[in-house]
Parts: sequence; C-alpha cells; structure tokens
Amino acid sequence: MNVQYAMVIDSARCFDCKACVIACQIANGVPPGSYRNWIKGATVGDLGEMHFQPGNCMHCEDPTCVQACPTGATYRDEKDGTIKVNDGLCINCGSCVPACPYGARYRHPEKKVVDKCNFCEEHRARGESPACVQVCPTKARTFGNILDPGSEVARLLRTSKTVKVVNKKTDTKPNISYLSGTAPMDWPVEARSPAYSELWRKIAGPVVKGLAGITGLGVLVMLGKQLMVGDTPPAFTHEKHKEDFHG
Amino acid sequence: MGKKMIKRHTAVSIFMHWFNAVCWFFLLATGVGLIRNSDLDPIGGWWPEMMRGIFGGGENLLSAHVVCGSLWIVVFLLFTLVRLRKEVGFFIREIFTFSPANDILWIIKKGIQMTMGYRMLARLGFEPKIPEQGFYNIGQKLFAIPAMLGGIVIAATGIVMYSSKSMTMDPAIVQWSILIHFVMAGIVFAGLLIHIYMASIAAGELPALLSMFTGTVPEEYAEHHHKKWYDEIK
Repeated sequence: MNVQYAMVIDSARCFDCKACVIACQIANGVPPGSYRNWIKGATVGDLGEMHFQPGNCMHCEDPTCVQACPTGATYRDEKDGTIKVNDGLCINCGSCVPACPYGARYRHPEKKVVDKCNFCEEHRARGESPACVQVCPTKARTFGNILDPGSEVARLLRTSKTVKVVNKKTDTKPNISYLSGTAPMDWPVEARSPAYSELWRKIAGPVVKGLAGITGLGVLVMLGKQLMVGDTPPAFTHEKHKEDFHG
Repeated sequence: MGKKMIKRHTAVSIFMHWFNAVCWFFLLATGVGLIRNSDLDPIGGWWPEMMRGIFGGGENLLSAHVVCGSLWIVVFLLFTLVRLRKEVGFFIREIFTFSPANDILWIIKKGIQMTMGYRMLARLGFEPKIPEQGFYNIGQKLFAIPAMLGGIVIAATGIVMYSSKSMTMDPAIVQWSILIHFVMAGIVFAGLLIHIYMASIAAGELPALLSMFTGTVPEEYAEHHHKKWYDEIK
C-alpha cells in the first residue's frame, strides 16, 4: 500500500462555525440529527478560553470497528487506507457502533446501514478534497496521503509537533493528527464489543465447534469400526437366528 | 422369502427431503462464508475468502444466501399448508411419540454396537436384539426434532437479519439473531453428520437410502428395522 489518506488538523484555527458539519451532511446525504463529523469544545487556560476541535472518523490503523463487524461489511480499503462500509453486506446490526472510541458511526435511519465518514470518496474520485476540507474558512483541516513525502500532510507531520487523541485503553492508532495544544484530549471512550459477540467468541463458538467435532469423530469411529472390524453380529452365522439380530 | 416391497415415502416426501438437503448444503456453505471475522468464523478465514471469490463479492454471497433461504422457507410453508393432513402431520406426530424405557435402551445398545461392536455389547451383558421401533427409531427422532425446531428458529432469525436491511430494528434483536442463527445451524449440522452416516454409509442401511429415491423398502427391512410400524400396516 502506498496510499494512506489522513488528516492533520490545526484546531487553534477552528472557531466552531460548523461549516464542515453542514457541508458533510449535504455532500453525503447525512440526515438531520446524524453526523459524520463534529466539533468538540473545551475550556483551556487560566481564563477559561474556549478551544474547538474538529474531527471525524480517524481511519485507524488498528480499527476496532472492523474487528467488531461479523460479516466483513466494515473493512479497511487497502488501496487508500480508509475504513469503509460495504452497504450491500451491512445488515445494520450496529455491532460496530459501540466499538468505535470516537462515536464516528451511526445507523442511517433511511439507508438502513451503518454510515460513517469515508473521506468523501465521490469527491476524491473527481480529484477534489473532502467536503469538510474544502469548505473550512480558516483551513483548519489538511487532507492528503501521508505516504507521499511531498504532500502537505506529510510536510506538516515532519515539521510540526503533533498529537493523536486516543483512549488510553483502546489506542486504535488513528490517522488524524492534531497540532499539539489541542483540546479536549480525554473524550474518546473505551471500545466496547456487544454482549452477543463476547458470548459467541468465548462460549457459543467453542461449544458449537466441539459438538460438531465430537459427532464428526463419532462418525469416524463408526466408519473405522465398520471398515476394519466389520459389522456382523456373531450369531449371524446361524441363519435361523438371523431375524433376531437386525437393527 | 420374496422381495415384497412396502410403501414408505410419498413422492412429495422424497422431493422435500432432497430439496431440503440441497438447500441445507448451499445455505451452510454460503452461511459460513458470510461470517468474515477472525473472532467468530468457525473454520478459519479461508472459507469466507473462497466463497466471496466464487460469488464475486460479499454482497452477491449474501444475496445468494437470502434467495436460497427465502425459497426454502416458502416451499416449506407451502408444504406445511397443503400437506398438513398428510406427510407433515404424520411426521410431527411420529417424531414426538416416545416410549421412554424402550427408547433409552435402544440408544444405549445401538450406541455401543455402532461404535464398539456386537462383541462389546455381549461382553457388557446385553442381548444383541435391540428394542422394537416405530416408523422412525429414536435416533432418527432425536435428529428430526432439532432439525425441525432448529429450522423454524433459523428461518425466523434469518428473516430478522434480512428485514434489518429495510426497517430499523433494535440492534440487540439483530445481533442476538446472528448468534442464535449460527448456533442452531451448528447443532443441526452436528446431527446431520450422524444422519448422513447412518442413512447412507452404515452397514445394512442401503434399503433406507434407496427408499429415499424409490419410496419403498423391502418387507423384510421394514419388519426388522421398524417392527411397530410394520405391525401397524401389515
């Protein structure tokens, strides 16, 4: 893979205008009340000044959402390093929603699939930047391929001090970096897997495999006995008793 | 003794048996292929990869599974509606009829004989003759019951999962449906292994296999294997 799309965000430039949130909703058909991106707020410094922090799906290297998906509908696209949802394969079970530390996923009320940021795949196909990047009046968001040394994101990562916003218990290795000094830092939550998948992984899976294994083994034992020992009851040699011994 | 043949299965029963068998294999193969998750897949990631390769992607695999499953449900519903007073009612009545003392002894003796042979059976102090059975023996019933009830649960949970693509449901209902669907299919699959062996490979069972094509069994076979049924129809 020689493409890994990523963002570097200078949150000090953000003044909470929410142009990125609205542009995203319009560009991607995100219904009112649902969001693919956000602006978090925090008070900083002795005077309690407001600091705003834009964000969206972090397109993580270690995506807990992909691990939570039972069907493989949520996957990492190896072509560009983005995390995507295959709508045709998603059954809207929502397993991935609590698995994201950033709350970047929601169940789309009309499309009946889980929806999330895909770095505006359609825009990129036309050679444009994602809608949130294009519309930002202060250019707080920089988007590009971090594996291309000549890209703006790669240059920013080389020349500036950056941080990643992660939950200490679930570091998913996000691909969004912030220029240091961003706030808030402590908001991502621990990734949770739903109760059913824990039960499946720990108990139901081993039990089903064990049951099929034992019956399979039983069949092999019966087959082995049939082939090697034969299946004739001793009394079968006496023709007159034959009828008594059939199963 | 002549080879007099006795009617055992109707043409409708035979069709439903093989229709069910083909659907089961297809649904099992595609269903296991739909679990693409290293924590959950029962036989490893190679199977979902292979199935997606064959069907040209996960969406097509899911569609094929849904189409076959829907056909399976519709045909079984029609079968039940049209033939409730014939094969379906008879089947349900038979598989839920037990004679416990007889049946338990049958399972013990047949189990020992099938795995360890007649000599071990004799060494443990059992007579070689096993208890008389009806149209189905208790082994067949113990597979038929989970196969039928499991089939209903599998169909219901499958409908929930597919409906989730067109109506918003509580995620917990969809998630538990996935697990229950998997577990029930696994239980029936375990029984299926024994069913296939007992009905097609085990010694002395060739007439039973043939009857699933011809509908008839030799009179001698019926008397020896299903004495109570034979006595009823004689």
